[in-house]
Amino acid sequence: MSDNILSLKNVTMKFGGVVALNDVSFDIKKQEILGLIGPNGAGKTTVFNVITGVYQVTEGDITFEGASVKGKKRYKITRGGIARTFQNIRLWGDMTALENVITATDTHKKSGLVSGLFGLPVSRREEKRGKARAQELLDFIGIGEYADRLAKNLPYGVQRRLEIARALGTEPKLLLLDEPAAGFNPAEKVELANTIRKIRDAGYTVLLIEHDMSLVMGVSDRVVVIDFGQKIADDLPAKVQNDKRVIEAYLGVPEDAS
Amino acid sequence: MFNLRDWGAGIWERSGRPVRVLIALGAIALAASLPLLGGTFLKTPIADYESVLVFPVAIFVIMALGLNIVIGKSGLLDLGYVAFFAIGAYTMGILGTKTGLNSWEILPIGIAMAMFAGLILGVPALRLRGDYLAIITLGFGEIVRITALNLNSIGGANGIVGIPTPPTIFGLEYTFDNHRLYFWTFLIIILLTIWMIRRLSVRRAGRAWESIRQDEDAAELMGVPTFRYKIWAFVLGASVGGAAGVLYASKTLFISPDNFTLQVSILILACVVFGGMGNIWGVIAGAVILGYLPDRIRFLSDARLLVFGIVLVLMMNLRPDGLLPRKKREKALPEKGQA
Repeated sequence: MSDNILSLKNVTMKFGGVVALNDVSFDIKKQEILGLIGPNGAGKTTVFNVITGVYQVTEGDITFEGASVKGKKRYKITRGGIARTFQNIRLWGDMTALENVITATDTHKKSGLVSGLFGLPVSRREEKRGKARAQELLDFIGIGEYADRLAKNLPYGVQRRLEIARALGTEPKLLLLDEPAAGFNPAEKVELANTIRKIRDAGYTVLLIEHDMSLVMGVSDRVVVIDFGQKIADDLPAKVQNDKRVIEAYLGVPEDAS
Repeated sequence: MFNLRDWGAGIWERSGRPVRVLIALGAIALAASLPLLGGTFLKTPIADYESVLVFPVAIFVIMALGLNIVIGKSGLLDLGYVAFFAIGAYTMGILGTKTGLNSWEILPIGIAMAMFAGLILGVPALRLRGDYLAIITLGFGEIVRITALNLNSIGGANGIVGIPTPPTIFGLEYTFDNHRLYFWTFLIIILLTIWMIRRLSVRRAGRAWESIRQDEDAAELMGVPTFRYKIWAFVLGASVGGAAGVLYASKTLFISPDNFTLQVSILILACVVFGGMGNIWGVIAGAVILGYLPDRIRFLSDARLLVFGIVLVLMMNLRPDGLLPRKKREKALPEKGQA
């Protein structure tokens, strides 16, 4: 087997007459940080949505660890090892930070409703383990002290990071981050870059959508650029930055989010 | 500002296990002694106080707790909850009059029937959300009632008469006017339901429901099998409604389709919303008040329902989240710097 964890093969996604993705192909290698960039409306989030099963591709195929994800239920794709964060934060606001992550760890639990009701040993054990793992992940992301706060009351930056911790709670192999730095100040962006590297070093593969060029270029091993639903570049960050088509797509000026 | 929910939750959180057991026992003892307080200001004019405690109060509490699993916990708007109540009651009515089975033997059958109905309704209906789900469940509630109305083999519009009382247990005889015994029996069912909900709330199922209620798509993408847990919520809610139906039929000994109108669904929904969706203590308080109040203010005669309506409107204006809202308290933090 190749060392590609995820492959998009000639993926086309149409919404009626609108072609959101047009024949897009790229691979993600294991333990790689792949940046996915493009101007607004280029189709980046659509890529996330077809990978995670929110949309079914019109044409082409997506394989994760060699198996197609086409037609799979969304929660089964997550269980299989793909987790994501959301561009517009979608935490469960009335749950604490810890509960948010525990809910994600439930993904792989064997005990269900009945064993929980009767307090069977398997359920007790898994509850305990899930809670410990959730706290561990909060600490790993650096927001352990917020564990008992309701998600909706957390500062914005913590919410963004909690999204990452929650995605990690599903024990993914591939982590999809959708603009994790949106709204961050420069110091927070540096911190986030370190966190993303830390996540990769812990054995995860990361696909990163981000508008902040210094962050993407600094942290990614490789960058894929899409524009109007088409892939226009797929190379090392330094090369992509000087690619004519990429510069054209961005009207010659690298977009600066701040 | 004083907040009853936080005050209560605070006492509970600060207490050790022995104190908690004492509080729980005290609350149960208080509830169990309710039928003995008929001589106090609680007395309902005209209607018999002890009978009011059994129906509507105790039955409302059971049903509101069941509906709370569906609406309060999982956020699924079910406007046909009365259907499960009817199925439980008719199971009791049919089996009680046509077979030799007694109430305790029929209770699990009635629960199973209601759960099965919940499954049958849930599998197609739970693919829809929000308003659409509400309309389907509304229709289901009416279908069950109208079916009962038109099936002459189960009494049609005349309903079923002569349903047997539960058999004597421990020398205690269930007679039509032994309201106290019925009340205590129903109280046990209420306690069992509370136990079940509290248990599930802090485990995987509770978290799954909570995440579905708050953001179903996010839940699905975070690995929660949302459809399965929505079905579970429906089926468990139905089981409680079915149990309430069996008990109700064992008490009134006569049922007819008129007992299972849309109005019952709406009233139970009102109990849940009035008390505080998602908070079982609030829901219980809501059901007790809405079950009890109309009979307590019966001296107003014709103006009774008007006052009842005004109370509802005022309450929902002043406390839109209900008497005891769901919002969970955050544990007190060491530094309470910024909010």
